[in-house]
Amino acid sequence: MITNQTVRPYIIVIDDDQVMRLSCLKILKKEGYEVATFVDGVEGLENIYQRKPDLVVVDLKMPRLSGMEVISRVHAIDPDICIVVITGYATIGTAVDAMKNGAYDFLPKPFTPDELRLIVRRGLERRMFAKKTAELKKEKQQMQRRFVTFVSHQLQSPLAAVKQYLEVLNFLPDTPDKQAVQKEWIDRSLARISELLELISDWLTISKIESGQLTECTGDANLVKIFNDLKTTFQPECDKKNIFLNISIPEHLPPVPAREDCLRVLFNNLIHNSIKYNKTGGSVQVQAEEKENSIEVLVKDSGIGIPDDKIDLIFEDFYRVKSENTKKIPGTGLGLPICKKIVEELGGAIEVDSKLNVGTAFRINLPKGRGEKGA
Amino acid sequence: MSQDAKVLIIDDDEDFRISMRTLLESKNYQVAEADSGKQGLEKIKTEKPDVILLDIMMETMDEGYLLNQLIKFQKQYEDFRDIPVFMVSSIQEDPLSRFPKAAGNVDMITPDHYFSKPVDIPKFLETLEKVLQDKKS
Repeated sequence: MITNQTVRPYIIVIDDDQVMRLSCLKILKKEGYEVATFVDGVEGLENIYQRKPDLVVVDLKMPRLSGMEVISRVHAIDPDICIVVITGYATIGTAVDAMKNGAYDFLPKPFTPDELRLIVRRGLERRMFAKKTAELKKEKQQMQRRFVTFVSHQLQSPLAAVKQYLEVLNFLPDTPDKQAVQKEWIDRSLARISELLELISDWLTISKIESGQLTECTGDANLVKIFNDLKTTFQPECDKKNIFLNISIPEHLPPVPAREDCLRVLFNNLIHNSIKYNKTGGSVQVQAEEKENSIEVLVKDSGIGIPDDKIDLIFEDFYRVKSENTKKIPGTGLGLPICKKIVEELGGAIEVDSKLNVGTAFRINLPKGRGEKGA
Repeated sequence: MSQDAKVLIIDDDEDFRISMRTLLESKNYQVAEADSGKQGLEKIKTEKPDVILLDIMMETMDEGYLLNQLIKFQKQYEDFRDIPVFMVSSIQEDPLSRFPKAAGNVDMITPDHYFSKPVDIPKFLETLEKVLQDKKS
């Protein structure tokens, strides 16, 4: 509000010399600033305290309170207020002292209107910049605080739900009714604990990506081997859900300069998602192809798809599409953010194409290894 | 034996709704459920609960607060304004500390009662009973 650019800057001039006050007032008002003048430091400081001006022009030599004292007190009120010192007995020494006390700049008498205008304009720019920086910092801190609250909530919710089950069980008298719910509640509690473990594991993965530990390049990874392993991993789940899993990778696909476990996390997440958000009788297709400068992997499913208006959000931390279809599917909301972070750290790209109720396709481009010139 | 008062649980956590429903039904309360703030507002009108159990963090961080605000201030919920609201959250914090600026700069109003999850069962049931008795008299 105060920083709103349409608000006129407020400047005060403190000088015991009436001529000086009037001329400063005239020059600065003409520039469109709101200006007030004061005959000495005591009055000036009172106004500074009440109105927090953007800039203070102050004479160093005044009765009652010296300009030097005013300077040191202004910054106790607000360290971002810009102070310009004027004085008739300009020496390098007083200038340095004033700056040491926190003045922004120094204007020796006599000065021209242009000199005053220039120094005030520069001072105000600095003041606005400082204000903006402070605001951004505050905003960032607020976001961090909210983020911490949010993560704590995600971590605490499953534990609270499980503890609530146990406490209610403890509280209920031993009746057949209690027996009846017990088994179901144990299963539900186990599911929540798995959810929590998965969340912590994803969280650790993200921190490993951010520290560079997972995405550092220690050699080349062979995609053919990774996908063979992933097929073995996911085949039983696909059989159970009657999903057709087709992974076709050319045998001579060049390797990717990345850690094997990193690529495993990436494709494990993507294939896991395409099975998780699929329909009975659906299919998951994984294809890889060597391009001129990269290796392109396509992970395509015939699943529930992503609504158009949600597609931009799926790579956001903790975001999950909420719908009747997804309600029963557990997830941390970190799987795709992990994929995106990994691909970007590796210098590749990830794209998504999806149609609601038809399916989703992720196209991943990764750099080619072994002497190939990358893009 | 308690009264047959109706409690509406508004919470997107299915497990919390299940355990609380069982607990409340064991004490002969009637229970209605809503899994979102939107559904909650509908159920307030159709179910006419005696007490509302409201989770703070649902779809958005402050959904519960906003809902409380609506119930207490909006004209269309005038008839439901006096329903006591028990706010619950798994975040352990002083609820009063976040009311002033919870969502933007909208002033939040204090909930009638606040419980952190998991809910302390004896204390919760005792408060519930007392609130309902006060309401009757």
